[in-house]
Amino acid sequence: MVFSKSTKNRLKIFSLVTIATSLIFFFIYNNLQKNVVYFYAPQDIKNLTDTPSNKIRLGGLVKEGSLKKNNNIYFFIITDLKNEIFVEYNGLLPNLFIEGKSAVIEGVLKDKKYFIASTILAKHDENYMPPEVANSLKKNKLNK
Amino acid sequence: MAGYIGNLALFFSLIFNGFLIFLLITRIRNNNFKNLKTINFFNNSIFFLLLISFLTLIYCFIVSDFSNVAVYQNSHTTKPLIYKISGAWGNHEGSMVLFILILSLFSFVFVRTKVSEKLKFYTVFFQAILILIFLIFLILTSNPFDRMDPKPLQGLGLNPILQDPLLAIHPPFLYFGYVGFSLVFSFALAGLVTNNFDKSWSKIANFWIILPWSLLTIGIGLGSFWAYYELGWGGYWFWDPVENASLMPWLAATALIHSNIVTLKKDKLHSWTALLSIFTFIMSLLGTFLVRSGVLNSVHAFANDPYRGVYILSTILFITFFSLAIFIIKSPKKSLYGKYYFFQRDNFILINNCFLIFFLSVVLVGTVYPIILDAISGKSISVGPIYYHTILAPFLFVFLFFMSHGPLLSWNKEDKFLQIKNFKIFFPISIVISSVIIFLFFDYKDIILILGLLFSVYLIVSVIFDWVSQKKLSLNFGRLVSHFGFGTLIFAIFINAYLSKEINAAMKVGDEIKIQEFTIKFKSINRIKKENYEEVFGNFLVANKDKKVELTPSIRKYDQPVQFTSETSIKTNFIVDYYFAINLSEFEKDKIMVRFYYKPLMFWIWLSILLIAFGGIYQTFRLRNEK
Repeated sequence: MVFSKSTKNRLKIFSLVTIATSLIFFFIYNNLQKNVVYFYAPQDIKNLTDTPSNKIRLGGLVKEGSLKKNNNIYFFIITDLKNEIFVEYNGLLPNLFIEGKSAVIEGVLKDKKYFIASTILAKHDENYMPPEVANSLKKNKLNK
Repeated sequence: MAGYIGNLALFFSLIFNGFLIFLLITRIRNNNFKNLKTINFFNNSIFFLLLISFLTLIYCFIVSDFSNVAVYQNSHTTKPLIYKISGAWGNHEGSMVLFILILSLFSFVFVRTKVSEKLKFYTVFFQAILILIFLIFLILTSNPFDRMDPKPLQGLGLNPILQDPLLAIHPPFLYFGYVGFSLVFSFALAGLVTNNFDKSWSKIANFWIILPWSLLTIGIGLGSFWAYYELGWGGYWFWDPVENASLMPWLAATALIHSNIVTLKKDKLHSWTALLSIFTFIMSLLGTFLVRSGVLNSVHAFANDPYRGVYILSTILFITFFSLAIFIIKSPKKSLYGKYYFFQRDNFILINNCFLIFFLSVVLVGTVYPIILDAISGKSISVGPIYYHTILAPFLFVFLFFMSHGPLLSWNKEDKFLQIKNFKIFFPISIVISSVIIFLFFDYKDIILILGLLFSVYLIVSVIFDWVSQKKLSLNFGRLVSHFGFGTLIFAIFINAYLSKEINAAMKVGDEIKIQEFTIKFKSINRIKKENYEEVFGNFLVANKDKKVELTPSIRKYDQPVQFTSETSIKTNFIVDYYFAINLSEFEKDKIMVRFYYKPLMFWIWLSILLIAFGGIYQTFRLRNEK
């Protein structure tokens, strides 16, 4: 097929723009994949086939009476009323970290029952419950 | 009683708005663009009715009329007056009234400017459609004057972390920015429909782009400043989706300001300017959706009614679809071909426009991707700051480089050699300055840090050079101040990121700890009872080798609703901030958790944001006087 000169020009510009845009989005997407943090409820972790090695977030209720301290390291249990995960945390507990209330924690899994936390995410409001946690609790209440 | 008046005013504004649209359609059909009297009457009435409605809402908050649901849910009799007033827009319903009021205000002011009648007609028409859409939304899903019977005796109170003088003014600024872009959106559609998208369009649009942009800049700065001193984590920007929501229209508008200048000076880039005008407002709407629909978890997510989210989302889709359809059908067809030179000002502006759009895409993807993924697969993820930093930083350096040379280029001819000459001046100076800084203050070298300092200094040097060589300073003063502010902003951000220090510990009264080069002493504790909260102050003495600072952070226990907040204590000498926050732990009742931050150049970050905004405001006033 024969194109006129201006059509050829336009095709050239169009294909260049398309290539550039897709390269940019590929680049952005790639970077995104490397840097996202997935959220898991204790139930999700139980269902995993292998333990993820990168950073994840874990959310649930802080089990009543489980918070202990030893050599500046805190230990507590995060539960979704069905499954429990033991957490170790070296740092400061925020204002609204209270036993029996919800919490979201960032860190890595050592194995499927043991989580090493690096950050406890702050909340703005005592009664606020992250939607992810609320969902996982709802599911388990229904299944009981 | 007042509530009824407000509600009535709201309904009447809807009816008047219906009349206005009807009137405009018939006039447009008959091609009758003369005599603006009736149009003006309706347009003014809508504005005053909305104003009455908004003022009555404020009145309801002041007198604590708890028969009004919005007041009941967000106010309390013991709250100080200023927070009763700001409570009026500190909730979903009230903020939507403010949203619509500003839509109408811009239309109200716009008809009083010198614009051809046809353009005025269409602009008011599109603006009226926007008002209609949001009025229906307000009345159907979130009427601020909804009543409850019997009247409760006491309100639920406002979230304590929102009880802050800055938060009283942060939302209005942000809204003036966000919603202000609606006018240039309507004006662009008007320009497209009437085939008037040309230089004269750009000349008028300039004012309506730069004004909201400046206000948005201040609004973002205030929000960031609030996050810095109120949240107590020592940071000022967390790449939280809510922050991103305000950054996206800012990036789009920044691109628009520049492309509009090219349209104005060279009669080029019409389609691009038109598209950006549309896109900027859509970004504002997207921001409103993200913040208001409850898809995000943050202090801003007042509305957890999914119906509202669906309505706003379909509104965005509707507006996007129709405005893009108008753009595609009527897009200005002017030849792009002409002599093309690389080293020419419009080309550099175009290059930096591409960068801004790239930054925008990065932020957009990072903000929206988790929401889409959650909706599709139910997986929840969060995108951390590292994503933004690794992608944005390398491109930022190139962006700064083009930004340094762009304003020095000529509009009409290529002057490559002059730029090479400039480069030979700027580059050595910035190399020397940034290496001195690095060798004096940093004991480790990081390539990102070096490049960040180098290019921000490069920009600052080029702006100073540009400043000195101005023949008539007032002409470019706004641009120079804003660009200078951007240079110092990036400089301060890099220094701050690499020199900040943080100390965490658990302490009792009388304890003294030594960490890094700081000695922290916990001297005493005292209590104060205030009107609606109880406050516990800790007195701390922080010392390093050349300075001793006394800091008194506190914890507040609010009565209504019962909640603890940490109040930070910050002392600054304009170079370094000493920042202290404390909080209680349920677990160790005898100790207090302390956080100390050493934050250099924070003051310069705030100052730079003000400079950027000031440049814009100066420019708008100059444009006003020119007419």
